[in-house]
Amino acid sequence: METALITLAYLTSAVLFILSLRGLSSQETARSGNTYGMLGMAIAIFATVTADGINLYAFIAVALVVGAFIGRNMAAKVAMTAMPELVALLHSFVGLAAVLVGYATYLAQPKSGAVFETEIFVDVFIGGITFTGSVIAYLKLKGSLSGKPLLLPGRHMLNLVAALAAVGMGYWFTTFDGADGLVPLAVMTVISFALGAHLVAAIGGADMPVVVSMLNSYSGWTASAAGFMLGNDLLIITGALVGSSGAILSIIMCRAMNRSIVNVIFGGFGTGGGAPAPAAGTAAAVTGDIQETDVAEIVERLASAKSVIVVPGYGMAVARAQHKVQEMTELLRDQGVNIRFGIHPVAGRLPGHMNVLLAEANVPYDIVLEMDELNDDFASTDVVLVIGANDIVNPSAMTDESSPIYGMPVLEVWNSDFVVMMKRSRGTGYAGVDNPLFVEPCTRMLFGDAGDSMDGIVGALRERAGS
Amino acid sequence: MNLGIPKESHPGERRVAASPAAAKRFVELGFDVTVEAGAGDGASYPDSAYESIGAKIGSAEDAFGADVILKVRAPQDADGARELDLIREGATLVSYVFPAQNEDLVADLKARKITTLAMDCVPRITRAQKVDSLSSMANIAGYRAVIEAANEFGSFFTGQFTAAGKVPPAKVLVIGAGVAGLSAIGAARGLGAIVRAFDTRESVRDQIKSLGGEFLTVEIEESGEGGGGYAKTMSKEFIDAEMALFREQAKEVDIVITTALIPGKPAPKLWLKDMVEAMKPGSVVVDLAAEQGGNCEVTEPGARAVHSGVKILGYTDMPSRMANVASDLYGTNLGHLLDELGGAGSFSVDLENDIIRGAIVTHDGEILWPPPAAPEPSPAAKPAPKPAVEPAPKPAAAAAPKADAPAATSEGSGFSRKALIGVALTALWLWLRFGSGASDAVGETESEFLQHVTVFILACFVGWQVIWSVTAALHTPLMSVTNAISGIIVVGGLVLATDEVPQTAAIIGAVAILFATINIVGGFMVTRRMLRMFNK
Repeated sequence: METALITLAYLTSAVLFILSLRGLSSQETARSGNTYGMLGMAIAIFATVTADGINLYAFIAVALVVGAFIGRNMAAKVAMTAMPELVALLHSFVGLAAVLVGYATYLAQPKSGAVFETEIFVDVFIGGITFTGSVIAYLKLKGSLSGKPLLLPGRHMLNLVAALAAVGMGYWFTTFDGADGLVPLAVMTVISFALGAHLVAAIGGADMPVVVSMLNSYSGWTASAAGFMLGNDLLIITGALVGSSGAILSIIMCRAMNRSIVNVIFGGFGTGGGAPAPAAGTAAAVTGDIQETDVAEIVERLASAKSVIVVPGYGMAVARAQHKVQEMTELLRDQGVNIRFGIHPVAGRLPGHMNVLLAEANVPYDIVLEMDELNDDFASTDVVLVIGANDIVNPSAMTDESSPIYGMPVLEVWNSDFVVMMKRSRGTGYAGVDNPLFVEPCTRMLFGDAGDSMDGIVGALRERAGS
Repeated sequence: MNLGIPKESHPGERRVAASPAAAKRFVELGFDVTVEAGAGDGASYPDSAYESIGAKIGSAEDAFGADVILKVRAPQDADGARELDLIREGATLVSYVFPAQNEDLVADLKARKITTLAMDCVPRITRAQKVDSLSSMANIAGYRAVIEAANEFGSFFTGQFTAAGKVPPAKVLVIGAGVAGLSAIGAARGLGAIVRAFDTRESVRDQIKSLGGEFLTVEIEESGEGGGGYAKTMSKEFIDAEMALFREQAKEVDIVITTALIPGKPAPKLWLKDMVEAMKPGSVVVDLAAEQGGNCEVTEPGARAVHSGVKILGYTDMPSRMANVASDLYGTNLGHLLDELGGAGSFSVDLENDIIRGAIVTHDGEILWPPPAAPEPSPAAKPAPKPAVEPAPKPAAAAAPKADAPAATSEGSGFSRKALIGVALTALWLWLRFGSGASDAVGETESEFLQHVTVFILACFVGWQVIWSVTAALHTPLMSVTNAISGIIVVGGLVLATDEVPQTAAIIGAVAILFATINIVGGFMVTRRMLRMFNK
């Protein structure tokens, strides 16, 4: 294919990618958005493969077929509750691919000079951080690694030294001519691997939505860097799109937690780490009696309620209770109950995670609302069910200045008449903060696995409906 | 200065112009207070209670012969004697007058050169709230309406779970959220009912909510904000929509309390015959506008009626049914008015005082009613304090900016984004215009690099613009789709699949292709899987 044609094809791809992201602005257009993305990718690959000089078709075919096979299997098998892990793993592949492309390009030497070598350096460096960072995030989300932040002594200094060393290696690397600079390149790659792993290991489990968004952003910048290296505008454009997307998601998540990006990236939560709050232990201690409840009372309340709001959290995902929640929703909707869902931006371990789980369970998306859309309605709500969420409904975020989560916007469930907290145990949430909501007079606690509790509620509701 | 409190002669009127506690205030203001014997009987205030605060007990002639006469109802014929005949020329009378409906009385008062202050004409301004007896009485009427309804209603107000079964809570619809309406909402909520309230004025939404009521409205943009805190007459389209809403509600609610009044006009007919018929038998309608003809078509003013099993209470004497507290509040209002008049020491009718100017009907043989119109905006605009006796309109203004704020912010950031784009485009133009010549001086790679930077920055802007419009519910699909798209790095591997480069490079490139393809296929497929699940 001629160069002009390829440029045209790349332009088409870039436009299709933009349309693809644009399509996600609403549920109605999202599917066509995904199709645009696939089309854009197909055009880009076809144009590249048919370019002059590309002739190792066997290599390409084997790599494409094997990769497609693995990707298809992963996508088809993943449970929706495991989406955060999958997304993190996919990020690591982009990072790894970028590192490999960097090495291969260096060996091929299509260009030369300090600018080119710097481009290679940046590509490999960001790719390396993305790769190991995503792997650690994947392991943490999967539970293979503890969600607790790993806090090495002097970790900020370690990061700084690593970054400086990498830059030093980069300078040394540019002094080589031809493809002889492999040693500094390899050392620098190892440093970037270590840096990526260390950065993510120091971040606590509750901040995972931000981490995943950040890695999403990094994977985009990696692609962009590769584009500079190869002089390929399509890579630059696409990388920039993905990079901005991840950056925006990170900003949204941080706003939802009232934390600064810097604080999230470098701080182990609740340990000082630049946070203005003192240690969690000094926050006003929660005193008062917890009132427990049982399924029978909840069902009685639900049956006589006019308006119900469900606030799901990560606990619902862990207990895989979303299908039971959907059954309850349907039963209550049949009775004319106005049931809605309130989603906090950082509920779950991935931005929008709760929406995906509820969609999987066939909950209509128009009753799944964002925090701001229904926060004023709690006062007129008869029953609120909090399923496996804790920090996002903690009133001390609004009232207790000494609380580590003070200032974080929360769902104001305590304004309603009757709040049921479904919780596995009496423990604190990920943020390690006491929740005074437990002892509010309107709150009833239902301890136990959310899946079992929902089973009981659905069963009792069905009985009532049948009788 | 003498002050007389006669016994009310109107049939069924149990109130008296002041309770002993309120009359004590008059004594403190320097008045010699004379109370007609038995005046407080209907309100359970014995003569001895008045005596104990320093008032004299006298005859009707004594009370009416005073310099200042305080009454609830306007003077009228009683037992063949005309009360007006007992009042001296030049005396001051304070009572309800309703001058628009009682022109003969006003003419008579003028002829007798009596100074008349009408408690129903006190202007509805913030400063006059302490004198505003209409609000005090409306507050009582609203409360009493709920009590009367509860009395007639054959079930609990609050929902109950008993061993014998479940009783659903009563549903109460309050039409018109003025003082009486708000008081009714509060009382009905206090009894445990589900309360809905309708009003044409958007500004009362927060007040209804604050009392625990649900605000009903129709989907037509029209403000019902009239002068002096009242509602105005609405357009036909609005009324049609309102009627449709009421018909729907009629099937559901157990209790309807109507309080809609438009000043100077008969009460609007809002609860029509067919709505009454649509209600469940045993339901209750309380029509607080009965005196002005009623909001309900089948109301019989002053009486209890039954229409198709629904009880319609058209009592016009709600405050009188709670004479004890009504007399106390009315007397307190009078005390504040006497204060405005300067007390006994410097008693004068100051026409510059806007409260007195509003209330005055006749003075020095002249009719001074109606007062010159002072246009009054909605009370919502004024941050009125909230006295205990009267749920005064709270500043709705406080709520309005809150609602507007997010819109304003997003507009602001939208503007700054536009400005940023403008700056970027200007920079690009400058670079093309003046920078391209300079690029000859630098090496080819550097020039190419700069070009790429341009593309990169523009792409970042495009991404920034596009991503903000993604709905929060789709953030996970957004991540997986961007994941797939970032697999575009496959191109980097593909361009190396040539025998023009060292074989090692090509092989490493092929491995990169493999990983990138996992990403592309996996990302797009899982996105498709997720998006299929989003159903309405």
